[in-house]
Amino acid sequence: MASASSLSTSSRSAAAPAAAAPSFRQRRWVRMAAPLVLALVLAVLPLVLPEFANETIARIGVFAVAVLGLNVVMGYTGQVSLGQIFFLGVGAYVTAYGVQNDWNIVLVFVLACLIPAVAGLIVALAAARLGGLAIAMVTVALPIVGVPLAKRLSEFTGGSQGLSARFADNPEWTGLYDDQWQLYIVLVIGGIVFLLTRYLVRGKYGRAFAIVKGNENVASSMGISPYRYKVLAFTIASLIGGVSGFLYMLVVQYTSPETMSFGHSIELLAAMVIGGAGSIVGSILGGAWYVLVPQLTNAVDASLTALLQGAVLLLVLFVLPGGLASLPRALTRGRRRSGADRGVGAPPTTPSSTAGSGTAAEGSERERQGPA
Amino acid sequence: MGTFIQLVIDGLSTGSVYAALALAIVLVHSATGLINFAQGGMAVLAAYFAWYLTNQGVPLIVAILLSIVFSFALGAVVERWLMRRFERGDPDTAVVVTIGLLTLITGIAGWLWTYNNQQFPSLFPLDTVSFLGVSVSIRSIGTTVVIVVAMVLLQALFVGTKLGLALRAVAINPQSAAFSGLPVGRLLMVGWGLAAVLGAVAGALVAPQLTLTPGMLDNALVYALAAVILGGLTSPVGVVVAAWIIGILENLAAVYVPFIGHDLKIAVPFILLFVVLIVRPQGLFGRKTVVRV
Amino acid sequence: MNTHFRSRTARGVAVVSALALTLTACGREGGGGGGGGGGSASPGITDDSVTLGVTTPLSGATAGPGTCTVAGVKAYFGAKNAEGGVEFGDGKTRTVDIRALDDTYDPQQAKANYDQLKNDVFAMTAGLGTPTNRAWRDAAIADEVPQVLIMTGDPLFSDTEESPWQLGFVPIYQNEGEAFGELLATSSEEHKVAILSQNDDYGEGYVEGFKSAIEGADNIEIVDELTYEATDTSVDAQITELASSGADIFFNAMSVTPLMIASLQKAQQLNWKPSWFLPSNTSSPGAILEPGGAAAYPGIYSVSFAKAPQSPAFAQDEDVVEYLAALKEHGDYPDPPAFPHCQWSWMIGATLEQAFGEMTEPTRENFMEALRSIEDFQAPLMLEGTAVNTSEEGQPAVSTLNVQKFNGKGYDTVESFG
Repeated sequence: MASASSLSTSSRSAAAPAAAAPSFRQRRWVRMAAPLVLALVLAVLPLVLPEFANETIARIGVFAVAVLGLNVVMGYTGQVSLGQIFFLGVGAYVTAYGVQNDWNIVLVFVLACLIPAVAGLIVALAAARLGGLAIAMVTVALPIVGVPLAKRLSEFTGGSQGLSARFADNPEWTGLYDDQWQLYIVLVIGGIVFLLTRYLVRGKYGRAFAIVKGNENVASSMGISPYRYKVLAFTIASLIGGVSGFLYMLVVQYTSPETMSFGHSIELLAAMVIGGAGSIVGSILGGAWYVLVPQLTNAVDASLTALLQGAVLLLVLFVLPGGLASLPRALTRGRRRSGADRGVGAPPTTPSSTAGSGTAAEGSERERQGPA
Repeated sequence: MGTFIQLVIDGLSTGSVYAALALAIVLVHSATGLINFAQGGMAVLAAYFAWYLTNQGVPLIVAILLSIVFSFALGAVVERWLMRRFERGDPDTAVVVTIGLLTLITGIAGWLWTYNNQQFPSLFPLDTVSFLGVSVSIRSIGTTVVIVVAMVLLQALFVGTKLGLALRAVAINPQSAAFSGLPVGRLLMVGWGLAAVLGAVAGALVAPQLTLTPGMLDNALVYALAAVILGGLTSPVGVVVAAWIIGILENLAAVYVPFIGHDLKIAVPFILLFVVLIVRPQGLFGRKTVVRV
Repeated sequence: MNTHFRSRTARGVAVVSALALTLTACGREGGGGGGGGGGSASPGITDDSVTLGVTTPLSGATAGPGTCTVAGVKAYFGAKNAEGGVEFGDGKTRTVDIRALDDTYDPQQAKANYDQLKNDVFAMTAGLGTPTNRAWRDAAIADEVPQVLIMTGDPLFSDTEESPWQLGFVPIYQNEGEAFGELLATSSEEHKVAILSQNDDYGEGYVEGFKSAIEGADNIEIVDELTYEATDTSVDAQITELASSGADIFFNAMSVTPLMIASLQKAQQLNWKPSWFLPSNTSSPGAILEPGGAAAYPGIYSVSFAKAPQSPAFAQDEDVVEYLAALKEHGDYPDPPAFPHCQWSWMIGATLEQAFGEMTEPTRENFMEALRSIEDFQAPLMLEGTAVNTSEEGQPAVSTLNVQKFNGKGYDTVESFG
């Protein structure tokens, strides 16, 4: 929703080979109006869509926010985190506990953001000293230890039976159905988080993140402390994870130790890469992937879900190694090269030949994908 | 005291299960700089293959040998037709591809052989040997011995052979390896194939204990990863020792530190990992190298 | 993900709105809260068919028992449909369709599956798991959708005050533990008990029931009590620690098949040979006791209400033969199952048919009433002395259990310990 320009590229290039496309897109009124129209569509949609569609979009919103958080630390800053689901879980537990004890809902929301953020900060202060796979292993520990810990703290978490909390029944004055009201809340909170994150990663901090991701030594020589920015990125990711936990409780209304199992953390990582690492639109697509693919495979054959999900994942990455968000770029390039065969990548025995034949577009792609 | 020694022995035998998988992960990492999440899945597939053959009346040892051949081919095919497209791109993407592969393999195994627990015959008898008031099964001893042999062979491969040297050269810098005339593509296929062979051995060793299911090695994977990092990504001896340390410490902490107990004992290897990494970022036995990730 | 997000021209909005308005028209009609009582039919039922929904793990770590929960009920109604259908209390004959979705034991996915099914199915049934069923319990109550004969021993689902639209099928975990505790309390000898339990509501329920039954019995002493995690790869350390306690009774509330086999083997290796108590879902003679070498122990006790198809005693049993044939033909389950959940799911089919036979109106309310008034129904595959009773307050559909002792091949019902 945030990156309007790249979205319209996709619809354009997918729709027709219209030569006038770029000029239409570049017209000023289009650029001004696009976000407004988008906001309007999002405002109208919940009113007109059927119940299950609203529930599905709300769920996509929850996981899009979770993937966005992961993107901040991984996609933009290059630090592998396998523990994002832990922060979603903490956020959900805080929300459930607060609601059950009748705390003010605004207070609950603030705590659901702050507590995971503080937890993330503490972990990051220690973990950000490490690099590469070591930081990945430390973050693996979060869901792995988190599950038994949640059971141990059964006084607050309800043990393995989990906590239920319904707090999103719509107020009388709205005249809305529950699913519509919930979707509006998800859209508003999720929208704000996405906008703020977009400003963050496109501004001064985002550039610093990118430099840290590119090369820590270069960052140090430019006066950017890799350690400080890694901690910052990790903390923000945890905070966003907490927000997604709050939204999770809003939509799912139940949390248990199963919520934060390691497998889901891996699925979030996969969703991020498939959506498109380091991309705002990619985060939304990643959330959609997380929610829609199980739904889709269930519809095809519920007893073959694992097989189908694995196959679809491999297929998508094989065609689009840069994730779904790179589709417009891939299409543009495909058209420019007019059907040049990309096939299975050339064997790395001949590095010079591929490098020589690349067009400008492929060159930049290669640069983006190169070992970071 | 008897209980203490027994716990140490139990930890060693559990640690050997983690070590078996960890060795395969180290081999792939040494050759490609990647962590292969599907390693356990490929091992399970090999175990199902062997199990299927024994059900057709093939003797167990022959079935396992055939599954090893099958695994080598599987590993090479996966490298050539799937991983190669991602090897020079973003490492995160390549890791997610291995996650997708794991899901796919698990799904295929569940589809072909159901999610029922299958009994996998054991290479070693279940009889026990007792000494010093400690009892240990021949199966555990056999598993541990095979792991140690695999470890020694792998260490020798890395340190003492041209193939090992070439594999490492490819991992560290594929381009200059190619320029110096190494057949990089074929080396990568061999690396993946050998790792899958190790996986197949691991699968055949642990399947009788864990019983054969599509997700048999999922829980062991986390421990294997911890052992890989703790031992230092480059050292076969290191990861085996690390896996044993994890197995033993976990047991002792659960029994003798009441606060940890059997529910939080899984935290022990990670705390250990964390402390070690702060002091020695390259792991217990690792060399300081430039890692591609 | 959604074409609407991409349409941003004015024309796009117009198209979207038009399209969406049509969708609303159909969408909201079918929605709402489950039929509002009386007269008009609830969703998911017509004059010649009824659709039931299931959300259960069909992939992932719990896929083994999860697959069974669908296979049994599918096989039951598959066989019935082949004969023309099931006769309902309103005089109509309907075929029964099962729509099963995979939730991978993820509560969030279970809720999503429920949301997807709730307006298309008449009732939800047979799903496995405590967290996955709890995730949408509140929603099912609010929507007035039956969530019945589900496979969890969580007592919450059998509390009619708290859960008006729910009913569990299998005995609550406490009952199973209690049944063995009662048997042990009648023993004339002194006993030392070691306890190992899964660290969740399953293990806690068993232990709670057991302890309440032996309260006041001064011949029984609990000497050690440990837990394990369902995700553990080994319980050797726990068995070693418990063996050193010298207990002669081992109460093992464990739901994971490979770990149960491993514990049976490990204790033998340590030369610790107590009498065992095993839960109903991990006591299969063929899949667990035989590979575990259970014959080495003085006694293996379990509780059950279902005939074990692997047991030679029931090999020629009419129920068992019919069940295994249907499972193969209609349940998509070729091998004899290693999990009792297949049998239980088959019984769920029979219990549902019983309720359908009492339904006078095609509504969810009427179905709940009919379901809650089943008394002493001897479902196929049930052991003598057990029955389905749905009107007992605070109890699931099955609350009677037989304590059984392993005889080397199958189980015999026992009345006293020893």
